[in-house]
This record gives sequence, structure tokens and C-alpha cells, in this order.
Amino acid sequence: MLPVIASAAALVAVLVVSAQGASPAAQQRKSAPAGSTPTNSSAAVLKEFVDRVDKYVELHKKLEGTLPSLPKQTDPKQIDTHERALGKLIQAQRAGAKQGDIFTPAMQRLVRSLLAPVFRGKEGAQIRAEILDNEYKGSVKLAPNARYPDDVPISTVPPQVLNELPKLPEELEYRFVRNAMILFDPHAHLIPDYVERAFQ
Amino acid sequence: MPVRRSRRSLAVFLVAGALAVIVCRAGAQPQQAQVSLPNKPNSLHFAVIGDNGTGDERQYSVGEQMTKWYDRFQFPFVVMMGDNIYGSDRPQDFVKKFESPYKALLDKGVKFYASLGNHDSREQRFYKLYNMEGKLYYTFKAPKEDVRFFALESTYMDQDQLKWLEDELTKSSEKWKIAFFHHPLYSSAGTHGSQLKLRAVLEPLFIKYNVSLVLNGHDHTYERIKPQNGILFFVEGSGGQLRKGDLRKGSPLTAAGNDRDCTFMLMEIDGDTLTYNTITGSGSLIDSGTFQRRK
Repeated sequence: MLPVIASAAALVAVLVVSAQGASPAAQQRKSAPAGSTPTNSSAAVLKEFVDRVDKYVELHKKLEGTLPSLPKQTDPKQIDTHERALGKLIQAQRAGAKQGDIFTPAMQRLVRSLLAPVFRGKEGAQIRAEILDNEYKGSVKLAPNARYPDDVPISTVPPQVLNELPKLPEELEYRFVRNAMILFDPHAHLIPDYVERAFQ
Repeated sequence: MPVRRSRRSLAVFLVAGALAVIVCRAGAQPQQAQVSLPNKPNSLHFAVIGDNGTGDERQYSVGEQMTKWYDRFQFPFVVMMGDNIYGSDRPQDFVKKFESPYKALLDKGVKFYASLGNHDSREQRFYKLYNMEGKLYYTFKAPKEDVRFFALESTYMDQDQLKWLEDELTKSSEKWKIAFFHHPLYSSAGTHGSQLKLRAVLEPLFIKYNVSLVLNGHDHTYERIKPQNGILFFVEGSGGQLRKGDLRKGSPLTAAGNDRDCTFMLMEIDGDTLTYNTITGSGSLIDSGTFQRRK
């Protein structure tokens, strides 16, 4: 579905440019020579994030590979069994997971700074409204590696927000719980990590 | 002359009133007997539901009406606007919130094509009765007429999906291009309303590639939007949910609306003409009309 995240080297190359003013995702769409060396702290922070995402996805795929594969058209029982089994395997393997394992403190700060301009002004108010959307998420307790509650709707993530963030592989999505941004594993229905107060 | 006219009008009024009473007392609902669709044998027929997966009485009422109307207007498939399963989506929930309310239609071979809403687990895409084939967004050609549907995932409209959509729209040579997804680009409901940021990225593509019809849900109302840039938009988000009184009165967007009843829609495409009927969970026809595709 979604293409796998850009290689760390390419992303870093892009970020060299991004440090000069444009957003990383906007720059991702421009070609950049592979193998460039990071020359700024944002690039290093993003490279670290990409590496940690890759590591999570590698674990996800490895564990999913131990389960019977899910056909493209199947019944709810098989879907549910697969999702919960994968969730339990990942939770067991990441039993000691802490907030910040994927979103390092530096990456959390970078996320806030990348999103800050998006949430400013009238446009920002519209984006905030579409994310919060009057679908109350008060009952979601944020904890790394926790299962996202079955009965709580997931947030909308407007395209203008996604444009500012590094692309993710299909095993992960950005979502919001109140004003926290979470990584959401839709196959396992887990929250691998999150950034508190991602926007004001 | 005025007196004679007045007497005649009164007589007509009384006769009409008496007939209405007789019909109602007999248990029939006058509009139930009619399908104001051409109902041609070779045209494309389909139904539309949204925000339906509650598993409660209202969803079952709409399901029953869909079955009743199917007997008069056979539709081979239904498109779903998302929020297909509210709350828990354990296997038994798929039975209670989907398979049971539409059992009669499923037994007749009616196919359902789903899009996902914000209440839906992403993994519903693997559910065989939703015909998504494991995809969050997909396209399919209708079995009749020159029509292609594009099902989108509007909670996560990333660049990949937008590129996919543009590629598919570019490839599509069908006369009718119909997009359906959860979040409404135009809505007069107070709870959610128009999704402006989504509109900013999708509407230019719809205009550029000649999409004629856009179907959405999310707001738990029925609304026919006045055509925007030649495109007809519907909010059909009351297939099981309902927010009474949520439509803003006097909205300049609204061509027709209902926030008092759960509803579903029947549609027919015959050549360049779309005809639509909107029906409540008690079987009343509340909106109908025709629309010519964009050329």
C-alpha cells in the first residue's frame, strides 16, 4: 500500500536542504543524491527516527511472519485473531517499551516545531477542528505499546499535516489523541509510541 | 366566480383528505408504493448507505426498507460511506452490525462496497463482504453503464493516496466517475460540517478529471448539496445513526436535507442521466431528482 519509508540516506540528504527553510516532506518529493552526509542536527534527529521506525517495522514483519498470513478477503474471526495475535507478540517483544523509544526527545521537539506553523492562524484552526472533530477521545490512556481502544474512533489526519512529517511505511500511521500525536500500528491496533502536546 | 372556485377547491381538498385518511388507516404509506426512478432493465441501479453500523433498531429499520424497496427496484450493489461498525468490532459485531441487518439483501446476492470511516478498524479492508480486497482505497467498474467508482480513505489522505487517485482518474475513460468516502467536502451539519482541508486537495482533482458525483457520510444527516463546480455532492450519513436537528437552517449549501429520519438512497444511471431517491427508515420518499453528468 504505502511505499516503505525513504531510505535513511535519501531522507538525510533531503533534510540538508530542509534545514534551509522548506519542510522535510516537501523536500522529500524533490530528488536528492543518495548518500549525502548530514550537516545539521535536524537531519541527524530524523535519521535516528527513521532508523527506529525501520527497527519497529522489522520486528512487526518478523513477528507477523510467524502467523498464518491473512488473505485479502476473509472473515471477521480470522481478521480479529490475526490482529490480536500480532498485537500480543509485539507487546511481548517490546515489554519494556518506554515513551520516547521511537520518538526520541529530540524528535518530539522537532515534531512540535514542524507542526507549529501548520496550526497557526485561521488555517490552523480548521486543521485543529478536523483532527479533534468533536469525536471525544477522552477515554484513551496513552501508554507505549498499549492497544488502541476498540471503541474509540481514530482521528483524521489532514493532508496538510502529513505533508510536514516524514513518510511512514504502511505498518505505521500518524494519528492524534487529543493534542498528542501517536504512532498507530493499524495491523496490530497498537500505539508503539507518542508525542505529547504535539500541537497547542 | 370566486365563490364557485372556492367551493370547488374545498371539495377537492375534502376528497383528497378523505382519501389520505383511508390510505393511512389501511396501513399503507402513500409514497411507499412508488419508486420515482426510471427503473429501466438495462440501466445501472445501486444503493447508498452511510454511518450505519450501530447494530440498533434504526439500522435494522433501514435494512428492512432497503429489502422492501429492492423488490421494486433491484440493485446489485450498495456503496457504503464508512463507519460501518461502531464500537467493538469483534466477529460477533460484524454479525450484529452488518450481516444481520442486511441479511435479506446479502442472501439475494447484493454486494457491498465499503469505504472506511473514523470509527472503522483499518483491518476491515480484509473483510470479504466489504469487497475491498485488502485495500484502504480502491476503484471498481460498475457492471452496467459506463461508470467507475473510486472509494477513498478520507481519514488519512496522504500523498500516496492522492497520487494513486490522480493516476486512476487519469486512466479512467468512463463517462461517469463517482467518488465515495467518509468525510464530506460540503456539509451544513453543525456537528462536523464541511471538511475544508480535505476539500482543498480533493476538489481540484474532481474538477480536473470530470468527476460528476461525490457521496459522503460522517455527519448523521441527509443532505443534497447544491451542485458545486458542476459536481453533485450528497451527505448520506444517517443509515443507522441520526443527529436530530443538526442541519443548519438556511444554509446556502443545502438543496434538500433531512435531520429527522434515518435514510438510505437508491440511484439509477441511464446514459448521461442520474436519478436518485432518498428514503427513510419508515419507507417514505423524502427527496428525488435527476442530474446530468459532467462532460
